Amino acid sequence: MELSQEKLLEMYKKMVTVREFEQSLSEAVASGTLPGFVHLGIGQEAVHVGVAYALRATDWVTSTHRDHGMLIARGADIKRCRAEIFGKADGYCKGKGGSMHLAAFDKNAPGCNGILGPSQTINNGIALALKRRGEGDIAVVLFGDGAAHRGEFHEALNLASCWKLPSLAICVNNQYAISVCFDDACSIDDIAARASGYGMPGLVVDGNDVMAVYEAVTETVKSIREGKGPALLELKTRRYKGHFEGDPQSYKTPEEIAEEMKHDPIPIFAKQLLEQEITTEEDLNAIEEEVQKELQEAIEFTDQSPYPSLEEIYTDLTYEERRAV
Amino acid sequence: MKPVGLIANPASGKDIRRLVAYGSVFDNNEKVNIVRRVILGLDAMGVKDILIMPDYFGIGVRAIEDLKVSSRITFLDMKRDNTQDDSARAAEILNELGVACIITLGGDGTNRVVAKTCAETPLLPISTGTNNVFPSMVEGTLAGMAAGFTAIDSSDRPDFIKQAPRLTIKYGSEIVDMALIDIVVSKPGFIGTRAVWDISTLQEIFLSRAEPGNIGFSSIGGNISEMPSTNGKGIHIIIGPGSYEIKAPIAPGLIRSVPVKAYRLFEPGEEMPLAHTPAMIALDGERERIERKKMQVAVEIDLHGPWVIDIPRALQQAAKQRLFHNPSPSRR
Repeated sequence: MELSQEKLLEMYKKMVTVREFEQSLSEAVASGTLPGFVHLGIGQEAVHVGVAYALRATDWVTSTHRDHGMLIARGADIKRCRAEIFGKADGYCKGKGGSMHLAAFDKNAPGCNGILGPSQTINNGIALALKRRGEGDIAVVLFGDGAAHRGEFHEALNLASCWKLPSLAICVNNQYAISVCFDDACSIDDIAARASGYGMPGLVVDGNDVMAVYEAVTETVKSIREGKGPALLELKTRRYKGHFEGDPQSYKTPEEIAEEMKHDPIPIFAKQLLEQEITTEEDLNAIEEEVQKELQEAIEFTDQSPYPSLEEIYTDLTYEERRAV
Repeated sequence: MKPVGLIANPASGKDIRRLVAYGSVFDNNEKVNIVRRVILGLDAMGVKDILIMPDYFGIGVRAIEDLKVSSRITFLDMKRDNTQDDSARAAEILNELGVACIITLGGDGTNRVVAKTCAETPLLPISTGTNNVFPSMVEGTLAGMAAGFTAIDSSDRPDFIKQAPRLTIKYGSEIVDMALIDIVVSKPGFIGTRAVWDISTLQEIFLSRAEPGNIGFSSIGGNISEMPSTNGKGIHIIIGPGSYEIKAPIAPGLIRSVPVKAYRLFEPGEEMPLAHTPAMIALDGERERIERKKMQVAVEIDLHGPWVIDIPRALQQAAKQRLFHNPSPSRR
């Protein structure tokens, strides 16, 4: 698990960027400037960055509507991400995808999907294409603990295993499927245990420790690239915000929320970097200031971007057009 | 009769060695079955009270569902944060409550945590982990019966209970941590997924025992042909090209050729300073500590590890005492 100081600080910066980006969306919803449903992944930054840095640029990642951070961690431009979420013409999908369908095809990220579960079968299609292409790339899908109880999860794992697809299924277990607590809805304690039913390895990883995520994904991906077939990872983490912005989380006790906050992945990583003398408090502060500056630029970019014209409503509906996006 | 304690770690047997090696997945439902058999073994021996650590999966709760036993089963009233600290806390409470012994379900890592706080209370370790040198692969029923015999045996310190050695990490005279089987020193890095499998990062290893029959880093020492009987001494191995290339099963299914530059035995009480800092320290198979640059860190071996029940010997003694004979008609 050797990573240069530069790479480690880049990972830290990405985590802070994702956090601040999402936080700014939360504020925009609260102030009424961002309408519609927005699902934030605040608290899950270690998942996004740990996964992204363990992959190569030619791998593909399909995710959920809580994974804006996954695209940002993959290197998507935060200006275009924010513009898209605000429905602006300069967004990644010309403002027609929004938060729920944010995609960045230049980052091999076909994006977020409002319906949870089918992404896993879509991912199998990508994995099959990559297998046929034979260049050693893999397809990764992120989904939540709720989606792991749907039929598509089982169908997708079964087929991926039968066809030995280069596919990595990552269950981001944040303990809540909308408002239903994992403990009340799951017959076993680890989703990863279901992997054995499909003849593939399954691992549970601390999803709040970015280096644990990075290491587990790196090793899993190595095994998949060697042609050993698909795998299932379960990253245990926490969702700090409600299911959607505006959800008061009345289903959680104040004690539970306080406990969740003790495992914030960003201070955990900062502590690791400081303890190992990889960086200093001053450098981390400088990174945070840099992120604020970049975020401000993204806000201005979004504000200045126009809404898509009415003529755009019937464009980008076909594969060829979509490809050009 | 003293009660018997039980600690089942719901997190054991699940780490990354299922991927980088070929470790078995120890499903918690199987642990439930084992606990059930342990309880039946304890009950058959007439144990009146069984005290169980509560855990997030509810291993104990599920084990006693529909189980008809005479033993009274109580869950410890304790703070729980779903980490290894729960096992340490439970062991401390069980020791304070004066249990006859603590049955553990886990691997070397779980037993290390329990050993830190169980004081003089003997352990009966059942293997449900990955690299298991300390606990035995034993049928839960027999483990329960042996623990039951320990509870009803009136002798103060019977000869089927022996004290294990331990390795300590010291800053000066202060013990800051310990291991039961091995301390592995690697190049500095992150704790990450905790397990150790990359030979290229290893620098030195300290062992409390070295037998060819062991799995894990202990096997490196065990597989050196001229390794003498350690008999309470520790083994220090310096990794690197030089004297030997030792083929060793460092994890289940993971057999690696390990370059050994030198090794030597060290006596109890002898301070063995770490050759390199900063360094990553793995204790009983798990990356646990980062020792900073220029830290004066030393390893020692002593004979103050946990007391451990030898299951076959305990059952032999129980048999000799006719405890498995049903009372004759004249005695009824």
